[in-house]
Amino acid sequence: MPVLRSREIPPVPPNPRKARYNVDPPSTPTQGREQPATRLSSPPSLTPSPKTDGSVYGSAPFSLRRSLRLYSKGSSNADDQFGLPAVEKSIGSRNGDVSKKRKLSGDVDDGDVNGGGGGNEVVESYMKGKSIAESEYIEKSERKDEIENVNRKRRFSREEKGKGKLVVETDLESEDESLVDVSFSDVELPAEEVKSPDEKLSKRSNRRTSGGRMERFRDAARRNASRFAYFNTREEEEENNNNLSVEAEREIPSVEEHIEEKVVEDWPGPFSTAMKIIRDRTANLNVRQGSSSSDQVPSVQIKWVPQKGKGKDGSKRLPPSLLDLSLRVLVDNADAIASLDHVPDAMRHKLCQMLCDSRQMNSNLLDLLLSGSPTEIRLRECSWLTEDQFSECFVKCDTSNLTVLQLDYCGQCLADYNIPSTLARSLNSLPALTTLSLTGAYRLSDAGLSVLVSSAPALRSVNLSQCSFLTHGAIEILASSLASVLLELFINDCQSIDAMLMLPSLKKLERLKVLSVAGLESVTDKFIKEIITARGDGMKELILSGCGKLTDSSLKIIAETCSSLRSLDIGNVPKLTDNSLGYLASGCRSLELLKLCRNTFSDDAIGAFLEISGEVLKELALNNVGKVGHNTALSLARRSRNLVSLDLSWCRNLTDEAMGLIVDSCLSLRVLKLFGCTQITDVFLYGHSNAKVEIIGLKLSPLLEHI
Amino acid sequence: MKKVDTVKLISAEGMEFVIDKEAAMVSQTIRNMLTSPGGFAEAEHGEVTFPEISAVILEKICQYFYWSLQYSRGKETEFHIEPELTLELMMAANYLHT
Repeated sequence: MPVLRSREIPPVPPNPRKARYNVDPPSTPTQGREQPATRLSSPPSLTPSPKTDGSVYGSAPFSLRRSLRLYSKGSSNADDQFGLPAVEKSIGSRNGDVSKKRKLSGDVDDGDVNGGGGGNEVVESYMKGKSIAESEYIEKSERKDEIENVNRKRRFSREEKGKGKLVVETDLESEDESLVDVSFSDVELPAEEVKSPDEKLSKRSNRRTSGGRMERFRDAARRNASRFAYFNTREEEEENNNNLSVEAEREIPSVEEHIEEKVVEDWPGPFSTAMKIIRDRTANLNVRQGSSSSDQVPSVQIKWVPQKGKGKDGSKRLPPSLLDLSLRVLVDNADAIASLDHVPDAMRHKLCQMLCDSRQMNSNLLDLLLSGSPTEIRLRECSWLTEDQFSECFVKCDTSNLTVLQLDYCGQCLADYNIPSTLARSLNSLPALTTLSLTGAYRLSDAGLSVLVSSAPALRSVNLSQCSFLTHGAIEILASSLASVLLELFINDCQSIDAMLMLPSLKKLERLKVLSVAGLESVTDKFIKEIITARGDGMKELILSGCGKLTDSSLKIIAETCSSLRSLDIGNVPKLTDNSLGYLASGCRSLELLKLCRNTFSDDAIGAFLEISGEVLKELALNNVGKVGHNTALSLARRSRNLVSLDLSWCRNLTDEAMGLIVDSCLSLRVLKLFGCTQITDVFLYGHSNAKVEIIGLKLSPLLEHI
Repeated sequence: MKKVDTVKLISAEGMEFVIDKEAAMVSQTIRNMLTSPGGFAEAEHGEVTFPEISAVILEKICQYFYWSLQYSRGKETEFHIEPELTLELMMAANYLHT
């Protein structure tokens, strides 16, 4: 026992809580929140008698942090039990109230415990209230022996550090706070209740999986405890929090550990300052307000009141434009169209798009399109076109003025052997062609491409996505004839192209501005390093979604070299951590479009990134970035003056208030995607006062028009 | 005598259509012409000429303006377009930004 107490116990920083929360990669968006909820199933009790159903899993993420100290000492905690009974009881009672406010299922008995209302502020003051999970952690710990011991150990350690005072102070305020808490909880009830049915459902499923996970966490924590201790002694306060959150997040994905320490050094600058500010803000809020920012709000209070009577009436719809109406009639009567002469290109494209979408496009219409000397042909779907029809139509087409040729999904009609007779009739048959898109041409080989490229010497933009037959030889062909003119290259999903093999050719493209290698598994950090070092200066747009092997080091190089980067897509790159956002914030200052999808960035990091880069941002996609929460919302509201399009689909931590704040503050916002955000209610939908924004993905909006 | 503000739209053949200003404002192009501070002649005289738009089409367009106002006031009916007019109507609508 003395052994345990005499050792210097580092303060438990608040952020690890959040990181701990992050550490549990939820397999479904709701599961991550469920985990803590599941522990709430047994009623609280003041005495440390555990209701040990699923006790093991309960403290999984929690134990990660706790175990740092606990398990490294590796001794029983029974002694502590008797050390602080009084404090524990009061805390227990407070926590009981917290659970009551949560109103999650199974908490029928929570009402019994009416000690103080202050459970929340204790929770908050301890953990700077990052999320429900964390508070519920404390609660659960009351009920289970081991967790209780863990809890007590922690509390003891904080008290030892002199932070115990906080407990005492809030104790006194508990009476008042309880009233405040209740009112707040009532307000939050609608949002909570939306969530709780989900939680109930996944509770059961969570128990099994989290059990094993907790064991793994414990083991990992045991192994890394010494390293953690090193970090803790180095820094206090926020730096500590930064590191721990970084580290804890890295626990599960196994990144070399020494990088993290170096990473900390690399962070100085606006991003880490912004992170600090955000964490301070949440910390201060909680200390001051106590539990007012209770339960599910990760401690940051969003003040937004829906405008009653103002804002658009959801049932009123704008009349369809005459253009749309006439296009619809045209599409319906497409066979009656005799000629498309004098119809400007933009109209032709719109018409084609609608025809392709409704599967009414046919070779007659294609003939109409190709008649005369067309300048632009855009067919976003050619799967209806047979080889013969293709040959027939294009053989007689005058391609001398063609600047744009888009034949997407042309695999059925386009092959090596019919190119010479149709598109590449002579060596200069496509003299004006600047944009070529032949996606899905699965029968196009390197040789075929060579013939095509030799006829089109002025190509500036080439899209060969999903041409699965092409190899790195295709890139060599492009480089040999188009090295000085090619600006854009899209080779998404060209699975036969090996990134490293095409690297020398790719480097020869002197003016490359847009590169898309989405979905290519062979894209590694090394590839990015090489190509960016060679061509990164002029790079304007990078699409790296689905390149699962990329890590933060790629983003570091991109940020350092691509100073004029306008658009970046790093969706579905799971290994990226908050450090990437840090690099981007300090490096790519003119980033206008950022697409994230299923990334594991934390709310703090995104918030900090937006604080710095939000002014310039025009389009932001945070699709399925599950940790997005109130910090992001606040930063968006404060910084994103120029944001036009925002995708917050599947961001289920955002409440109506947060959404309302975002929409009412981002005055340039025109499109907001909210697929999968079932937690958003009419309070937001009818209460926001931004009349120009279009909300897609919830019940009010017709779906497919906006794709 | 004119209680309501009106504008005159003149087709290619010279046929004149007098409609309410509010109806004409449905078209973004006309709205810009009439309200921009650039001192357009159209704004001063309240007349806009469309040398490329025929009378039939212009008539249909005026009908659309009134239908659009009706629609936004809540009365949602269908606006029928004869197929023969559609192509030209589409191009005129594109030009008028409506």
